[in-house]
Amino acid sequence: MATTCTISIGSDILSGFGGISESMTLTQAGTVTDIDSTTGFQRRKLSATSAVDLVTMASELIEPKDSVASKIYIRNIGDGKGNIDKSVGVTIGVNAEPIGKLYGGDWMMMPLTCIDADDVTATPATDDTVVLEFVMFYEEA
Amino acid sequence: MATTTAAVTLTSDLLSDNMSVSASTTCMKAGTTADGLDQIEYGYVEVATGDEYDLIATTPTAAKASKLFVKNHSIDETYYIAITQNSQAIGRLYAGDWMFIPADFHDAAADIAITSNGGTNKVEYALFHEGTALTTT
Repeated sequence: MATTCTISIGSDILSGFGGISESMTLTQAGTVTDIDSTTGFQRRKLSATSAVDLVTMASELIEPKDSVASKIYIRNIGDGKGNIDKSVGVTIGVNAEPIGKLYGGDWMMMPLTCIDADDVTATPATDDTVVLEFVMFYEEA
Repeated sequence: MATTTAAVTLTSDLLSDNMSVSASTTCMKAGTTADGLDQIEYGYVEVATGDEYDLIATTPTAAKASKLFVKNHSIDETYYIAITQNSQAIGRLYAGDWMFIPADFHDAAADIAITSNGGTNKVEYALFHEGTALTTT
């Protein structure tokens, strides 16, 4: 029951930069045992500039274990109808702390504490419709 | 225009219908559709246990676009680095784990900091960004 994630980064900013290509298997904390729980792949459509919870830790049907090896993948797929605006973004936060802004088409892979207070939030910059795809992988408490 | 692309492939067989997600993005400057990130900070450090260290100590200007890649190259699976931003715990990267996040460094305190646990961790990082001006000595 493996979950794997591979990243490839290419850039011509620096002439000597040969790119980054890395893969990881998501495992439980401190072991080589595969991670065992997921929220499943989800979509969330947003049409206002108010902050919303993408993941409310205390409300997960299966309680995630705190401070282990959880990860979340999030992607801004534009308006969900194939229109992607790279000039407008959605700020992703953890426990009200802004982490960074996902512009149209951008994605992120981030570790999480899964502590109840550390909800994952999304705050669009405009009220134009934007759709986020996300999936969280975690350990069952 | 400088061009930086980041592609991801995520697969999982945790669900009975196996999941496979692929995505790619070109990393642009904030609020633009035609101008790519044009600055980079790329390094590799060994971090001893104990204190918390700023991984990105010089923050780009607030509201600029940045992308941060961090990988824990440690081999012992019990080793990990704890990631914080602006004193908010984000999560842990165990040996072999990596992360890729947008990081807009919304104020001067919003540095990305790491704490090594288990032993000395070996950490690779790359910050793709814009807007950093050198400070005078």
